[in-house]
Amino acid sequence: MKSQLKQITRSSKFMTGFILIFVIVAFILIYPLFNPGNPLEMIGLGTFFRPGTYVSVYDSLNVQRTYTLRLPEAAANRIDGKLSYDDRESMRDWLIRYGEQEGVAGLTYEEIDTYDVHALLALWWEHYTTDVFIEGMITADRRLVARIDSRVERIFEDSDIILMMYNYETGEYEEFGVVTATDYVNIREVANTIWLPLGTDNFGRDVLKQLVSATGASLIMGLIAGVIATIIGLTFGLLSGYLGGIVDDILMFIFNLFTVIPGFILLVLISFAIGQEQRGMLTVAIVIGVTSWVWTARSVRSQVMSLRNRDHVNLSKLSGHSLPKILVRDVAPYIASYVVMAFILQVSTAILAEAALSMIGLGPMTTEQATLGLMMNWAMNFGAHLIGAWWAYIPVVLVIATVSFALNLMNTGLDQIFNPQLREG
Amino acid sequence: MSEQNTTIDQLNDQPNEQPNDNEQPGEQKSFVKRTISHGFFKFFVRRLFWLVITLFAAVSLNFFLPRLMPGDPISTLIARLAAGTDAELIRRTIEHFYYQFGLYQPVYVQFFTYIGNVIQGDLGQSFSQFPRPVSDIILSSLPYTLALMIPAIFVGWILGNVLGAVAAYVRKGFDKIMLPISLFITGIPAFGMAIILLTVFAVNLSWFPAGGAYPVVMIPSWSWSFFMGLLQHYHLPFWSMVLLAIGGQAIGMRSMSIYELNADYVKYSRYMGIKDRKIVGYVFRNAMLPQVTGLALQIGTFLSGALFVEIVFSYPGLGTTLMSAVSQNDYPLLSGLTLFIIIMVLVMVFLLDIFYAIIDPRVKASLVE
Amino acid sequence: MGKIILDVKGLTTKYVTRFNEDVYAVNNVSFQLEEGRSVGIAGESGCGKSTLALSLMGYYFAPLHYMSGDIIIDGNNITQRDPNDVRKNVLGTEISYIPQAAMNALNPTRKIIRFIEDVVRAHEPKASKKDIYDLARQRFEVLNLPESTLHKHSVELSGGMKQRTVIAISTILSPKVLIADEPSSALDVTSQKAVIKMLNDLMDLGFIKSMIFITHELPLLYNVTDDIMVMYAAQVVEKGTANQMVFDPLHPYSKGLMGAMLVPEEGARDIKLIAIPGTPPNLKSPPTGCRFAERCKYAMPQCKVYTVEYNDVENNRGFRCLMSENELREAYAKEGSQ
Repeated sequence: MKSQLKQITRSSKFMTGFILIFVIVAFILIYPLFNPGNPLEMIGLGTFFRPGTYVSVYDSLNVQRTYTLRLPEAAANRIDGKLSYDDRESMRDWLIRYGEQEGVAGLTYEEIDTYDVHALLALWWEHYTTDVFIEGMITADRRLVARIDSRVERIFEDSDIILMMYNYETGEYEEFGVVTATDYVNIREVANTIWLPLGTDNFGRDVLKQLVSATGASLIMGLIAGVIATIIGLTFGLLSGYLGGIVDDILMFIFNLFTVIPGFILLVLISFAIGQEQRGMLTVAIVIGVTSWVWTARSVRSQVMSLRNRDHVNLSKLSGHSLPKILVRDVAPYIASYVVMAFILQVSTAILAEAALSMIGLGPMTTEQATLGLMMNWAMNFGAHLIGAWWAYIPVVLVIATVSFALNLMNTGLDQIFNPQLREG
Repeated sequence: MSEQNTTIDQLNDQPNEQPNDNEQPGEQKSFVKRTISHGFFKFFVRRLFWLVITLFAAVSLNFFLPRLMPGDPISTLIARLAAGTDAELIRRTIEHFYYQFGLYQPVYVQFFTYIGNVIQGDLGQSFSQFPRPVSDIILSSLPYTLALMIPAIFVGWILGNVLGAVAAYVRKGFDKIMLPISLFITGIPAFGMAIILLTVFAVNLSWFPAGGAYPVVMIPSWSWSFFMGLLQHYHLPFWSMVLLAIGGQAIGMRSMSIYELNADYVKYSRYMGIKDRKIVGYVFRNAMLPQVTGLALQIGTFLSGALFVEIVFSYPGLGTTLMSAVSQNDYPLLSGLTLFIIIMVLVMVFLLDIFYAIIDPRVKASLVE
Repeated sequence: MGKIILDVKGLTTKYVTRFNEDVYAVNNVSFQLEEGRSVGIAGESGCGKSTLALSLMGYYFAPLHYMSGDIIIDGNNITQRDPNDVRKNVLGTEISYIPQAAMNALNPTRKIIRFIEDVVRAHEPKASKKDIYDLARQRFEVLNLPESTLHKHSVELSGGMKQRTVIAISTILSPKVLIADEPSSALDVTSQKAVIKMLNDLMDLGFIKSMIFITHELPLLYNVTDDIMVMYAAQVVEKGTANQMVFDPLHPYSKGLMGAMLVPEEGARDIKLIAIPGTPPNLKSPPTGCRFAERCKYAMPQCKVYTVEYNDVENNRGFRCLMSENELREAYAKEGSQ
C-alpha cells in the first residue's frame, strides 16, 4: 500500500492532474475571501460588459489632485479608441457606395486606405453628407455611419472641456472646472473602481465571481453523481462477479443493455419527465448518477471474476464467513484501485453531463446558484456567441475542459500504475 | 458529452480470440469453409436476437421511465401546455390528449397499444406543431443529422487512427505532445468544441456563417448556388464533429498500436528480413480493425455530441428539434425523438458488429465452433 | 570432419535496459557448426540462450546491440556487412529463425500465402506470385502440410499447425543455418513429435544445412541434436556430443544440469537427480573469476579470483573450469560412491 502511494506520487500524469484539481479547488475556496458577496448579484445595468477595469467617471472628476502629463501619442490613442477598424471599414464602405452612386472619382476600394486615419478622415469630411440617399443601404447601416460621423467630428481637437454646474439660486450655469487634454488622474485616487477580469454576463453579473462559484457547484454535483454511480456500480459489479450463475446472467444482460443504450438520451428523458419544478441541483446529480453506473459495474465485475477463486477467498468461504463479510474483507481491498479509477471518470462524466443537460434547458432549476451548465445555457440563450461576448462562455468551456482533462490525467496515471502492461518505457 | 470509456474499456474482458485446438492437420478445405459460414450465420442470428431484445427494452424504457416519475407526468405536461388559455380549451385539450394517450385504459393496455403504434411508425402528434405527426418531424430533420454525423465519424475515425498510429510509431517528442492534446480535446464537451469554432471562424474571422443549414434568403432547390450555400454552412458543424471524433480515436489507436508494435509477429517478420515499411503496414492494419468495435462503443457518445453541435449552430437536425421539443414542452415529440435516437444507435452498433466480424479474420476464426 | 558452415568467434552482445543499464547477455561466445550437424543449447532461463539465438542473426534490433566478435557463415563474415545488406541478403536466406513464441509469430490478419509472398519478395523483389505459390505448395507438400493451410489466416490454425507452418516459412528460402528457439515447448506431446520430425526432415532433405536448437528441456536435446552446448551466465561452459554431455559431463554445472534430467535409457538409471542450489549471478555486474563459483560445491578459493578460460579437450569438446578433466571425473566418482 505504501509503495503504491509512492508510485502514485511519482506518476507525472497523475500528479499533473492532481495539482490542477488542487489549484482549482483552492481557487474556489480562496477567491470568495477576497471578493465576498453574492456571485449572482447584478452589478451591471446592461448586458455583456467587456472585461476590464471600470472607473467611476463621476468620482474621477472629483479627485483632489490632477496630474499634467505630456504624452505625444495621446492623440493617436484617442483616435484608436474612438474609431475602431470596423468603424473605418464602414466608412470606406459608405464612401465607395457614395462614389458609385454620385459618380465621384477617387473613391474605389484600392484608393481608400483604412490604415491611414488622417487620409481617410480627410476623404470623409470632404464627402460625407446625410443629404444623399444611398440606394441599397439598410437603415441600421445608415444610422451606424451617422453615429461614426458625430463621433469623429472633433477627433483632432484638443481644446479644453469646461465643466459647468447648474446653480439653483441664480438659475445659471457656473463654471467650476476645466479638463484639458493633458489632464490625468491616478486610478488609485478614484473612489470607485472595479476590476471585472471577465466582464459581466447578460444580467450584468460578474462572470469571474459567478464562474468560481459555479465551478464549485458543478464539482459538488459531480462528486454526488460519482458517489451514487460508484455505489450502484460497485454493488451490481460485486454481486454479478462474485455470485456468478443466473444472477450474473441477468445483471450482465442489464449491463450490456445500458452499455449500448446511450445514457445521455435516458438522462434527457428522465429530466424532462421530472419537470422543472422538481429539478433541483441534488435531483439532477442523482439522476446523472443513476444513469451512468454501468462502466463501474463492468470494471468491478471483471476484476471480481478473476478474484473469485483465489485462495484467500476460498479460505474465507470455507471458514463460513457471510457473503457481505467476504465481499468487504476479502474482495473489496483488491478492487479498490479500480473503483477509485472508475470514480474519477464518473465525476468527470457527471460534470460534462450536467453541462450538456443544462445546455438544452434540462439542468437544475435554480436562481440562487450558478452551475457551469447554467452559465453556458444563459450565455447561449442571450446570444453571447453571436454578438462576440466570448468572455461569457469561453472561460466556462475552458474550465469544463480543464477539470475533465485533469481528472482524465489522474485516471490515466493510475491506470498505468495498476495495469503495468500499459506502462510504456 | 463524452463518456471517456477508453481506459475503463481496457479493463473489461476481451473477446475470446483463441481458436479451437481440435482442428486436425489433414482437414478438407470445403469443411473449413462450411464451418466458418455456419459459425458466422449463428453469430449473425445471435446478434439479431440481441438487437430485437435491446429494441424491446428501449421501447419499454421509453414508455415506463417517464411514468415512473413522481406525480402524473402526462397530465402535468398537458396542464402545463394548456396553462393560460381559457377553461373550455383546457378541458378540450386535456380530453383530446387523454384520449390520444389512452389514459383511461390500464397501463399494460397502454403499453401494448404503444408498442403497436411504434411498430407501425406512429409516434403520436406533436404538441407544438399540432397536428403534425411526430414521425414526420423526425424524418424531416433526420437527413441533416445523418449528413453531418456519418461523414464526420468516417473522416474523424481515419484521421484519429492515423494520428494515433503515428504517435505510437514516432513516440518521444511527437507522442509527448499528441497525448496531452488528445486528452485535452476529449475533455472538451461537444458544445464547447462547436462554440469555440463558431467564435473563432464565424464571429471573429467571418469565414463561415454562424448558423443554419443554408442561407436564410434561399429556398431549397437542386441548384448549384444552393448546394454551395449548404456546403458553406456545413463546414463548421462538420469540423467540430471531426475534431471530437479524432480525440477519442487517437488515444485508443495509440495504445492499440503500441501493443501491436511489441507483438511477436513484428519481431518474427523483422528476422525474416521483411522491410520495416511493410511491417508498419501490418501493425496499423491490425490495430485499426478493433477500432471498429471501439467506434461501436462510442457511437452513442458521438450521436449525443452531434446533437449539441447542431444546437450550437442551429443546424436543423435532430438536436435542434430536441432542443425545441424541450423548450416548448412538447412531450410526444421529445419521447419520439429519444426513442428514435436510441433505436438509431442500436441499429448502428448492430451493423458495426456485423461489419467487424466480416472484416477481421480474428473474429471469423473465433466463430468456428 | 565436414565443412564448417557456421563459425562464431568471441561474440559479445549487450542489452540496454529501460534504465539504461548494460546487460552483457552473450559474452565472448565461440563455437563451430559443421555442415549436416545440429547443436543444442541448454541452460537455465536467463542464461542468455535466447539472446544468443538473436545475436547469431547478425542483425541487431534495439535494445540488443552488437559489441564484438565474428559470425562467419559458409566463409562469409556477416558482422562486417552493412545492416541493410544483412537484412536483405542474410536474414531468412543464409540464417533463419524460429521464434520462442511461435504461436503468435504470424500476423493474425494476413493469409499464410500473403505472408510467404512478403518474405520471398523481401529478398527477391521480382518473384512472381505464381512462382512463390508453386514453391510454397511444393515445400508444404514435402513437409506434409495441407495445401489449404496456405489460404488460411494464422488464427484458423491449431497450435501445432501454426508452429509447423512457421517452421516451413522460416525455411522456405533454404537457409544454411536454422536457429530454433524453444520451438516445441508450448505444444502437446503429439505436436512436439511432429515438430521434431519436421526439423529432422528438413535436415535430411537438405533444405537446411545445419541447425541450432535451443531448449530448457534437456531430454529433448539428447534425442534431437548431435551436439549439446551448455550456457551459464552468458558464457559457454561446456560443449560435446549429446552422448558425452549426458553420460560424461565435465563442468560441475553441466553435471548438475544433467543430473536434473531424467534419461529413460538403460544405464542412466542410477544417476541421481541433483538440483543445483543458488541462483545465477546478476549479469549487470558479473563476478570476477568463475561465474559459477558461488554455486559450485567443488569451488576452490582461486576460482573466484582467476578468469577461467574455455579449454578445448578434443575436437568438438571443451569446458570452462580451473580443474582438469581427470580431477573433475575423480571428484564425481568419489561423490557417486558415497
